[in-house]
Amino acid sequence: MVKSTSKDAQDLFRSLHSAYSATPTNLKIIDLYVVFAVFTALIQVAYMALVGSFPFNSFLSGVLSCVGTAVLAVCLRIQVNKENKEFKDLAPERAFADFVLCNLVLHLVIINFLG
Amino acid sequence: MMNLSRSVALISLFLLPLLTFSFSVDNPTDRRVLVLLDDLSLKSSHSIFFSTLKSRGFDLDFKLAEDSKLALQRYGQYLYDGLIIFAPSTERFGGSLDSKSIAEFVDSGRDLILSADTSASDLIRGIALECGVDFDEDSSAMVIDHSSFDGDHTLIAADDLVKSHAILGKTKIEAPVLFRGVAHSLNPTNNLVLKVLSASPSAYSANPSSKLSSPPQLTGSAISLVSVMQARNNARVVISGSLQLFSDRLLRSSVQKAGSPNKYEKSGNEQFVTELSKWVFHERGHLKAGSLVHHRVGETDEPAIYRIKDDLEFSVEILEWSGKSWEPYVADDMQVQFYMMSPYVLKTLSTDKKGLFHTSFKVPDVYGVFQFKVEYEKLGYTTLSLSKQIPVRPYRHNEYERFIPTAYPYYGACFTTMAGFFVFSFVYLYHK
Repeated sequence: MVKSTSKDAQDLFRSLHSAYSATPTNLKIIDLYVVFAVFTALIQVAYMALVGSFPFNSFLSGVLSCVGTAVLAVCLRIQVNKENKEFKDLAPERAFADFVLCNLVLHLVIINFLG
Repeated sequence: MMNLSRSVALISLFLLPLLTFSFSVDNPTDRRVLVLLDDLSLKSSHSIFFSTLKSRGFDLDFKLAEDSKLALQRYGQYLYDGLIIFAPSTERFGGSLDSKSIAEFVDSGRDLILSADTSASDLIRGIALECGVDFDEDSSAMVIDHSSFDGDHTLIAADDLVKSHAILGKTKIEAPVLFRGVAHSLNPTNNLVLKVLSASPSAYSANPSSKLSSPPQLTGSAISLVSVMQARNNARVVISGSLQLFSDRLLRSSVQKAGSPNKYEKSGNEQFVTELSKWVFHERGHLKAGSLVHHRVGETDEPAIYRIKDDLEFSVEILEWSGKSWEPYVADDMQVQFYMMSPYVLKTLSTDKKGLFHTSFKVPDVYGVFQFKVEYEKLGYTTLSLSKQIPVRPYRHNEYERFIPTAYPYYGACFTTMAGFFVFSFVYLYHK
């Protein structure tokens, strides 16, 4: 039984890996960016757990910048993905332009809130 | 008509100099003293004491206690700065004097020497009671001491003096002080009265000519022979249980305590009463304070408001009256409080030996309305109670540090995210 579950886990991982390799490159780039943003957010949370939340506004600003940009990147991925029927009529350039504008507003807000 | 107005002008001209011969803030020693006697022979039997007072510049006015023209005030102005009552057996004063007017005299800041003796009248006891001193209720009782006496067991040779340079001067009184009279006690909760000459532990107060039927009420060191009181307005009162303490006979007499080999040529009485009279008439131990000065370190002007965690310097000038002039006061126990409901800062002031007391400290991390308070109550000196109010504000929003060091990782994260977004957008648009 144990051997079959570990073999199942290995098979699952291999199938995920092969399925993922099939995704287009631009989507993989977006995924990498999201992972980077979430990783930065996690580092900040760990730091706050160590040091305490003294300038709480700075902490929130830092975490919000990472999480916000990750969310916007996920939205871009949804809109640009060709397999997604819902956004078939939306031009990918329009999606990217929205992404850039929203990020500009986001960064303006967090620089103001950073203190 | 012309004659009347001219004479009125002349009389008022004569009255004007009278106003200059009184004690004032700049010259606190008393000048004019009324001496009430119940017997004019006291002038000669106590001549040494009165002549020492006159030689120090006092203007003594001798009157009989029952003189019907006695008055302390005229037209609302006090005529005298000090009062000596050597009238222990007087039942009622003449003129407009009574215990109420004497209490008002002391309330106005003027000084009093009151002496009782054996068979003190109720009037004298009442005045002493107003000042916080309780004479023995038995009117025939005297202080008897079977171990500290000289010759007669009612002539006490006392040497239990209060340790105060202000009240008794710098020179130690070597010989015992001779005393024959009544005992009094002080209420221990009263912090304005003080025992200057106490009886020895073997003394007690009883009638010397009759057998004791019950143990005496006043015994031992609880008996005070001479006490002083400094009122809250710095008026000074000396209350003595013996009129003979001031008399020439005891001032000149030699002392030998029974059972002690030391014989002193002269009793300590003259030095004792002279030093005590210097203290009671404000020739010694009288302090005056200038205004409290405070400013930020590096500035000279007094600011209207301080900020928390400011560094400030505080100073006050205190002078002591030497009898003739104001000398700088030197002490190492003057303290200042930075007070709001309770002292947040309590610092001892350091002196520059020229009367200026100064210190510097940091404003605490609390904002509100504070007071600089100097409360000085030293034995024998006038009480100083000075205060000055100053508000303290918190930081303005632009007085905080611009960049908080603990938040550097967050600043870094934000800028890293922005850089990442920039790089991502390039890579996304131009990848192949």
